[in-house]
Amino acid sequence: MGKKERDVRMSLQTLKVLEAFLESPTEQLSGADVHLRCGIASGTLYPILLRLESAGWFVSQWESIDPSSVGRPRRRLYRLTSTGLRRAGEVFASFNRGVLA
Amino acid sequence: MNQRNVQSVPAGWMDGLGQRLIRHAARRAPESLSQRLQEEWLADWTVRTSAMSRLRFALGCCWATRVIALEFQPSGVLVASPAVAGKWVSVLSQHGAGYFSRRSGTLFIVTSLHALLFYGLITTVTHIHVSATDPLQNRPLTHPDPQTLPIPVAKPSLTHVAIHVPPIDQELWRETDQGTGVTIISEPPPLIPPSPPQPVKQVLGGPGAGFPNTDDFYPPQSRRLDEQGIGTVQVCVDANGRLTADPRMLQGTGSARLDDGALKLARAGSGHYRATTENGRPVNSCYAFRVRFQLTP
Repeated sequence: MGKKERDVRMSLQTLKVLEAFLESPTEQLSGADVHLRCGIASGTLYPILLRLESAGWFVSQWESIDPSSVGRPRRRLYRLTSTGLRRAGEVFASFNRGVLA
Repeated sequence: MNQRNVQSVPAGWMDGLGQRLIRHAARRAPESLSQRLQEEWLADWTVRTSAMSRLRFALGCCWATRVIALEFQPSGVLVASPAVAGKWVSVLSQHGAGYFSRRSGTLFIVTSLHALLFYGLITTVTHIHVSATDPLQNRPLTHPDPQTLPIPVAKPSLTHVAIHVPPIDQELWRETDQGTGVTIISEPPPLIPPSPPQPVKQVLGGPGAGFPNTDDFYPPQSRRLDEQGIGTVQVCVDANGRLTADPRMLQGTGSARLDDGALKLARAGSGHYRATTENGRPVNSCYAFRVRFQLTP
């Protein structure tokens, strides 16, 4: 995926995804984890994850496990980049200013 | 990736369907993302607890593929907005030349229909233009001679009029005038001739009981002059013997004074006339009676 920083169209679902990652910015989450935290359906969730990753807000990598020993397939884990953390903070700060103003 | 582990997930028919849906959806994704999405989705699919939830997840992946295919080109570059051009590139890359041919055929048909419509419109407009411009020539206006003008005759309007005679039990005769369209419905001539009218026994009336005496209306001057005469007076009386009109002289006596006396006599006798009877029944009638003025020696 491209790592070039792009503008991301903010929707309510996108804000929910960012909020799930901002709860623990250093934590890596799979799509299933995000679904459990914010309840977004798969049809909406994965395009958002790919969109944010393409915009440089997220990076993703495969889970470093041995599927045969663990007994389950490896998962794709997403994590906020420094750029994503900064931009997400700006987005929520702007929303807070707009609400409190 | 360990496909063996993924395949080993216990599944009923819903799980089997879900896995097939996920693989189908991943294959329709951009090629650079297809393998990754299939493994990622199958891994997240196993986390779902119920079969129905897993099936919903798989259906959601099908929808996600459509969104991703619109937003990401095959090279993996994000399209800023899902514009029409991006859709074209994405769709064409997925469906190949066959789909393009179908769209081309549709486009060709639509274009042909527009061309045909345009040709028909142009042809019609040209025809109207020619027929409209032909009679436009400079001609001096001349006043026609009233003598030579044909006399306008109003065209008669023929309407279908039905003259209806109240229906009877007998069969009706119908006659239709082909020129005017008038239908005359009439009764046929009676088959049985009408019975002849019964004779009326009429008895004319006249002065009745209590009628005044003629001598009482003899003019005194006529007595002195020895004027005598016989006149006829017509009176109209009702069934009760009363005058219904002023009496008049049908035939004079030869003396105006005697005539005047006769009319006074007739007026004075109102209520004392005998009414004319028809079959014994008194009716109104007019009749005449004679008045004689004669001096007794």
